[in-house]
Order: sequence, then C-alpha cells, then structure tokens
Amino acid sequence: MATVIARGLTKWFDTACVVDGVDLTVGAGEVRGLLGPNGAGKTTLLRMLLGLVRPDEGTIELLDRTLGEADTPALNGVSGFVEDPTFYPYLSGRANLELLAELDGGGARALVADVLEQVKLAGRGEDRVSGYSTGMRQRLGLAAALLRSPRLLLLDEPTSGLDPAGVRFVGGLLGELSANGVAVLVSSHQIGELEGVCDSFTVLNHGRVVWDGSAEQMRAEAPPSAYRVRTTDERRALAIAAAQPGVRAERSARGGLAVEAQDATLDSYVLALAAEGIAVRRLELAMSSLESMFFKLTDQPRDAGAGLMRPDRPSLSPQP
Amino acid sequence: MTPRRAHRGAVGAAPRAGGVLSVYRAERRKLLAQLSTRVLVLVCTLGPAVFAVILRLQSGVPADTLLGVWVHSSGYAIPFVVLGFGGFWGFPVLAGVLAGDLFSSEDRYGTWKTILTRSPTRKDVFAGKVLAAMTLTAALVALAGLSSLLAGLLLTGDQPLVGLGGTVIPSGECLLLVLVSWLVVLLPVLAFTSLAVLFSVATRNGIMGVLGPVLTGLLMQLLALIGTGTWVHLLLVASAFGDWHGLLAADRFYGPLIISSCVCAAWAMACLGTSWLILRRRNFAGTPVARQRGWVAPARAVLAVAALIVVLGIASNWGPVAITKPRLEASITSSFNRLTRLQQEQLGRSLATAAELDDRAICRRRSSKSDGPGDDWSCAITIATPRAGALETVGYDVSVESDGCYKADAPTSFVGQQMMSDARGHSVVNPLFTIYGCFDIVSAPPCARTATCGQTSELQRSGHPTAAPGDEAEAQRLHEAERIAGPTVMRKINKADAKAARESTRPGPEEAEPPAREARHSSVR
Repeated sequence: MATVIARGLTKWFDTACVVDGVDLTVGAGEVRGLLGPNGAGKTTLLRMLLGLVRPDEGTIELLDRTLGEADTPALNGVSGFVEDPTFYPYLSGRANLELLAELDGGGARALVADVLEQVKLAGRGEDRVSGYSTGMRQRLGLAAALLRSPRLLLLDEPTSGLDPAGVRFVGGLLGELSANGVAVLVSSHQIGELEGVCDSFTVLNHGRVVWDGSAEQMRAEAPPSAYRVRTTDERRALAIAAAQPGVRAERSARGGLAVEAQDATLDSYVLALAAEGIAVRRLELAMSSLESMFFKLTDQPRDAGAGLMRPDRPSLSPQP
Repeated sequence: MTPRRAHRGAVGAAPRAGGVLSVYRAERRKLLAQLSTRVLVLVCTLGPAVFAVILRLQSGVPADTLLGVWVHSSGYAIPFVVLGFGGFWGFPVLAGVLAGDLFSSEDRYGTWKTILTRSPTRKDVFAGKVLAAMTLTAALVALAGLSSLLAGLLLTGDQPLVGLGGTVIPSGECLLLVLVSWLVVLLPVLAFTSLAVLFSVATRNGIMGVLGPVLTGLLMQLLALIGTGTWVHLLLVASAFGDWHGLLAADRFYGPLIISSCVCAAWAMACLGTSWLILRRRNFAGTPVARQRGWVAPARAVLAVAALIVVLGIASNWGPVAITKPRLEASITSSFNRLTRLQQEQLGRSLATAAELDDRAICRRRSSKSDGPGDDWSCAITIATPRAGALETVGYDVSVESDGCYKADAPTSFVGQQMMSDARGHSVVNPLFTIYGCFDIVSAPPCARTATCGQTSELQRSGHPTAAPGDEAEAQRLHEAERIAGPTVMRKINKADAKAARESTRPGPEEAEPPAREARHSSVR
C-alpha cells in the first residue's frame, strides 16, 4: 500500500518554478531518500506534502486521503518537520512536547517521557529549548514527530547539524521505524548520510525528478568510486592503470593519482602495483559510487527549454 | 514501557484530532508561561490595590477623573476611577500585549510549521488562539475590576456614592453598577483584542501587534477631541470605553451603549474576518518567500493610514452635534440642583426639593466655537440666597468630553472649599465644589433654548421672560449672568425671550403670580 502518492506537483514562487511536475510514491514501511542539491525543491516538496504550501498543480494523497485545502485535516498519522525543527524557546523540551501533545488532543502526553528517552534527551528534558544545541533540537524534532505515532514520517535533512554519532543514531532510528511499518521520506543533499539507510531514492534537480528507483538499482547504475592514490612511482602506476581493465587513472592536481574503479577492479590494480614493486603509500576514498551517481545526476545545467520561467510572466533573463 | 514498545504499540493508530479546545489549552499555557503575561496578571491584581492604598495615604484626589473627588467618601468610587484610567490607555495596552504577539510570535520563533503539522486545522488554530486571547483578556479585566472593588471596599468602605448628575446611589445598587460597568467595558476591550489579532496576523510583527492597538486607541481619542459631529465619534471603539457613564447618570440613558455594542461587534467581526482570510490564504513557504521585505508595503500602509486619519478628521463634523449648549445647560442645572439639596442635607439645613429649586445655567464657550467638546466652557448658574432674597450667580469652569460627560469646577469664593464640615462636624466632600455629570448625546436635545424646558416655562409663567423693569431681583440675576456668560449670549437669549413674550397673547391663570423664589432657597454657601 502506498502511503504517499503525489502526481504532477508543481509550485511557482513569483517567476520561479521550484517544483516542476514531480511524481512521487512511497510505500508502507519504505524508507525513501529524497536527494538533490540545495535549491532542488526538496523542502518545498516536503512543505506541500505537509500541507504548509498549496501546490499550483498536481494532487497529493497521504494514507489514502487527498490533501486539499490548507485546513483539511489530512495529516492524521503523518508527522515530520521541514528545515530545522522549531520550538518555543522559553519552554523546556518536555513542555514543548506536552504542548504539541495537547494540540494532538492530549492523548499523546503519556508518550512524552518515552520519546524523550528514545531520542536520548531524557536528561535534558527540563532545560529550556533556548539552551539546546542544533543537534539537540534535531533530536527534539524527531521526538515531536514520534509523538504523533506516525504511519508516515516526512523529514527534511534530519541529520543536519548532527555529529557522526548522531547521524548513526538517526539512521538506526529510521531503520527501526521502517521495521515497524512506518513509511519514511527523508531528504538530504548528502547521499552518503542516507547510504545504507534508504530502500529507494528520488533525486531532484532544478525542481524535477531526474532519477527514481531502488537503492540496488542506483548502486547498479552508479559510476565507479573515486580514490586518491599515492605511490612510490606515479609514472609507472599510471601505465599499469592504463593496462588494467575497468581502471581509469590520471594525475591529480593535489599530487598523486585520481583513480576511478569498482571495488573488485581496484583490488586487482593494487595487487598489480605490488607485483611491479610499487608501494602504495596512501589510498583513500574521494567519492563513493553513490556520490558519483549523485553528482552525475545533479551536475546537469537547467534545461533551457524546460520553461522554468512562467510563460505569462516577464523573464528575468537578459536573453530573448 | 520501552521506547520501541511505545512506538510499536502506536503505529497505525491515528492520533485523536485536537480541535479548537486543544489549541485553546495550548495557547493558554503558552501565554501564561510568558513573562509579559505574568507581569500583566501582577499589574491587574496588585495595581488597583496599590492605587487605592496610595490614594488612601494622601489627602489629594484624582478630581480630573469622573467621580475622582469621591474616592475618600465611598469605596465604590475606586473601581470607577480605575475604569476611567483603564479606558484611556490601559485596556488597549492589555489587549495589545496579550493578543498582539499571539500570531506574530509564531513567525518570530518559526513555529507555524510546527503547529500546522499537528492535528488541528488552520481554522482550529485561528479560533483557539483568538479564544485564548479573548478569555485571558477578559479574565485580566475582571481581575482588575475585582481588585479595585475589593481595595475600595476594604480601604474606604461601602458608603453610598454620589453618581454622575448628583444622585446618591445606595450601596447595593453601587455594587451592581460596578459589576455591570466592568462587564460593559468588556465589549470594547474584546474589540481591541480583535484589532490586536489583525495587526499580529497582517504585519507578522510583534511590535506592531502590541503597539498597533495602543496607537489606534490614542488616535481614536484624538479624533474624539476634534469635530462636533456624532457619527464618527460613535463609530470609534474607544468611545465605548465610556458607555458605563450612562448607567451612573441621574437620568440613565442607554442609547450610546446600544450603539457602541453594535459598533464593537462590527469591529470585532471585521478584524477577525480579515485576519482569518489572511491566515487562510497564507503559504508557509519559509522566511525568504513569505516575507517580502522592502519599503513599498510599509510606505503604502503609512499613506493609507494618513489618508484615513484625514478623512476621519473631516468626517468628525458629520452628523448631529453631540455637545450642545442646551444639553449642557439642562444637565448641569439639574446636577447643580441635586447637589445643592445634598449639600443642604449634609449641613442640616431646611431642604428645598429639586422641583422647587429654580436655578438656571447659562453656558458658553470662550473660544469661537459655540458647540462641541472642550475645556473652555463656562456656565453661569444663577441662584437665590436667603440674604434678603438676593440672587447670586456662580460661574463654573466646565470641561466637556465628546461623550457628553463633563466636570465643572466652582470658585471657592462662592461654594467654599473642597472639604466642609457637615452638621455633625465631620469633614466631608463639598458636593458643589466639583460637579460630575453626563448627558445623552444621541437623544433629542432637551430644549431649543437654554436651561431646562421646565425652568424656562417657569420663567415664562412668572411673566418675566426677560428682566421686567420692576423686578429688581430678576434684573440683578440676569445682569450677573450676563457678566459671566458674556453679552453676546445674553443678547441672543433676550431676543428669543422677547419674541416668545410677543407671541404670548395672554398669560394663563397659573402664570399670573410669580413664585416666591426667595422662600424656597437656602444658602449654598
């Protein structure tokens, strides 16, 4: 069963089309990553799904209910946040959650202590939110979302501002939610943070969907990973790379070699270097396979014929 | 319950919808957690009590405020004086602080997206917030009213109060009037709360939300000072803060109260309706898109407000004249008569009934205007004294407000000091020293000429519409009145009287004998 079915979503802000005919489907229990560079339209898409912005065109169905007018109560079972989660700074974290539980009818008040513990904020629940760090606010935002016992969770860059441990914690939490049947749509502009967490990805660029599919599909289509390699003999190492199938190498501007290869072929290349008496002094991952895919997809210029300027409005471009 | 179990148990169960009452409870909690609200609660609780204590400790009285001169005589005067102060600026501030930041604070904290992604709809959020603002504002007004009433009763006592126009209101009736008056003032307070909501929603700025209603209130009071027409004045919400005056008048009137109630309801509906339309259509698309910064919109708003002020200033002369000479003369004459009786009772002297008192006020303005509110009115009241039937004239400086309420100050040379000794030797307020009164500005004028119709008729019945050559007392009376009221006014009066005399072919049998006024009067000194 699909928890999100969005068709042909389009949103204009003044003369700019920030979301352009987006189709999106999220199944129950699925964790879908919404990827795209800054300004790709991820946050606006999430705002439309949360009912904060009305789409100019297109339809949205959440949990089999059509999201229409701004005051349509279609968000039961749906929760999440866009941009940074925001709270009342003069209230404590616990008081903020109690307030939000009150808005949901008061029944969720009993869950406040549990969700605070779940996001590892139980010890700071009585502190005022004005004293929280960015990471703590992100955790409180997750707690506020969990308070609604969601069947669909919409999260906009939940790992923003989190330390590596926090990123790992969020990943684990999303996996746990997914295992419980909760559908998650999570946005990020860093695919590395979502790698291993998401079952599927939708990539946006300039407001349009440029790729949509499962994580396996993306890995299969992804170009080789990029590595930085330093050896004892760069010239010979280059020659060996040229002779090695599936390995592409060139001199790096920062010294050493920039090597693109799949994991298996990279292993063969390193063994070949050793066999020729060339020592590998440093080998580091410069860009993972999925990151390469992301940049490949999002490094495209805006389509000149796409009509991103509204035809009935004056163009801002000096070109005719 | 472990977090995991807590979550697993809840998956699939849609949360119970919040609704208006949920938003109301949440907003109430937020408001009460804010320092500004706590300060307001403290001010409304302790402010009137502190004010009453300060008044109790000092000998002076806030005589410029209606009923202020009676604060040491009756505990019921305190809540009315506080009500007078509150209407001037306190209630708009209260409404602004409580409601002016209710919506804009969500913009400031960026929390619209937090609350609008919960169960309540936008309509629920709007209604709940408005309900919270209204109830909390009303509660604080009630708190201030009860505090001032209790402070007055505990510190001064429950003595009867001399009302507006000189009637002595018994204690029980005073209590009822205090409660009703504070209840009546809730209407404009809630209208100002609606205005604060509109400022808050439209500007998304807390400062504008708080200051907007206050500045609007002050602007309305300035508009009330200019112009002589009734229409614009009655359409100003701030005018409704004085509607309780009619309840304390000697001849109670309800016309302004009824009109103002409708006006307040219309203001509230217009402000809340506009606010809802703005909020309903709003896209919560984030700061850069939602807020179009620049000077064009504020400049347009300032120009529109300036144009509106000019239009209202011009329109303030439209409609029937509210403050007229006949209305003031009729009201001040009857007030003076009642207070004269009160004074004589307190002095233990023989009483003259109000019907028998034949004092007559002739009022004029010192400025070029002949009507309208202002503090440049003077009224000459001619009275008889027992000193060989001599007639004396006492001149009162009168300040008249646009709502028909006035304060008249007497010269000490005639009525004595503000405090006097009653028949039992107690120091009491001299009722004639300061006269408070109010008249109805929407009803038909009491008389086409001066003073009350009854007294004019009595003059005519006496056969001396103007000073007859043989009536020295009347001549002396009119001469003194002319000296105080001014020759222009008196010439007009005399012309009118002469005309009336010519038209009168034959006096009636009951008009043949002039009443012996000297016998009916006691000294007012």
